[in-house]
Amino acid sequence: MVRFKNRYFLCEIISEDLHFQQSIDEWAVHNTVKNVVARMHGDFGLACCSIAFSVKYLNAYTGIVLLRCRKDFHRLLWSSLPFITHLESRNERYRCSFNTLHVGATMRTCQKFLIHHNRNQLLVLLRNCTSEDRQAIQKSVQSCKFVGEEQYNSEDEESKDEESDDSMK
Amino acid sequence: MAGFVDLNIPHLPEKESLQKLVASAAHLGYSTVAINYVIDYEEKKKEVVKPISPSELFTSLPMVQGKSKPIKILSRLTLVVSDPSHCNILRARSTNIKFYDIFAVFPKNGKLFHVACTTLDVDLVCINVTEKLPFYIKRPSVNVAMDRGIYFELVYVPAIKDSTMRRYTISNALSLMQICRGKNIVLSSAAEKPLQLRGPYDVANLGWLFGLSESNAKAAVSTNGRAVLLHGEARKTAFGVVYTMKKPRTPDEDDSTPATKKVKMAL
Repeated sequence: MVRFKNRYFLCEIISEDLHFQQSIDEWAVHNTVKNVVARMHGDFGLACCSIAFSVKYLNAYTGIVLLRCRKDFHRLLWSSLPFITHLESRNERYRCSFNTLHVGATMRTCQKFLIHHNRNQLLVLLRNCTSEDRQAIQKSVQSCKFVGEEQYNSEDEESKDEESDDSMK
Repeated sequence: MAGFVDLNIPHLPEKESLQKLVASAAHLGYSTVAINYVIDYEEKKKEVVKPISPSELFTSLPMVQGKSKPIKILSRLTLVVSDPSHCNILRARSTNIKFYDIFAVFPKNGKLFHVACTTLDVDLVCINVTEKLPFYIKRPSVNVAMDRGIYFELVYVPAIKDSTMRRYTISNALSLMQICRGKNIVLSSAAEKPLQLRGPYDVANLGWLFGLSESNAKAAVSTNGRAVLLHGEARKTAFGVVYTMKKPRTPDEDDSTPATKKVKMAL
């Protein structure tokens, strides 16, 4: 018995708009990606990509998206991702761009990569932050332990990177 | 493995927007960028300006994503030529031209394309992507260019901006691929805004749309860009082998007596 092989795209949504974070949901991403595939590859491409296509994970605060599609057609999806220029949700357009961080065969490898990536990002952010932020981060790192999905809370920008780690677990 | 290279960051008059552009390129994972200065003879913009130096632009260079190294900033000069006499500037050893690391030409007709591939001393030949290709690309000139180590540049941002441009980009790219079979291609951005830049893996995958194979597409953003840099650097050397540079002098070496005489005096 064989099983279906999938590919998972770990993407980062880059945007300069400040209202972007609150007003984005999984359906907006889903529709945007489907529209851009239809625009790039036509009806055939849309039909191929929509087999088992889904948005598996979305973190609006860090702008991380995990998309799934079948392995046979992942090239079609990947080649249309660079042509996304805006997301549409609630009749408003937010200018943004997708940056593929990792393409994995399982969600597990994507999660591992994301944890690694966020750790690196935190180091970069630590280099140019103020001393108060640094202390807040130290406190949150020292008190860090694995709790359930709902029990974490975040105060500042930097701790959001860790937050995404926790919520993926 | 060589780092990722983006050879076409346009030179913007505002320093702040240029900083943002370079910083976002570093965030996406490019380890080398080249700032592009265009000289267009039809617009009467003839003077060769001195390129902006990285220290002028940044106090501390932005770090490349995934590596703990600062980004490398180079300068590149692009000549838009529609007449053979326009290329004389490359031969003239004027003061400002020696500051540039990479030379590129943008030929407007088939004759100049042939000249650029065979005789001109350049590193890159730009392919027009915003309109239908005005000439046929011929196999002999491309073969000579490949032997000389000259690369062809394709720009992808017009394809992202507009749908008709996208058609021209893809059809021109495919017609070039038929001749050069995916070798000697460099993919670069020409992005004016940070949001128009794409990550290196996405760009390599765009190469798939342009008819490149998987390994060639990967090379188009990494190793081919490095080859262009080395080709440009070899221009400053003698036969591409010997390179001279001035050594900073230490004060005790600065004595008027040569080293041989000093030895004698010590004896």
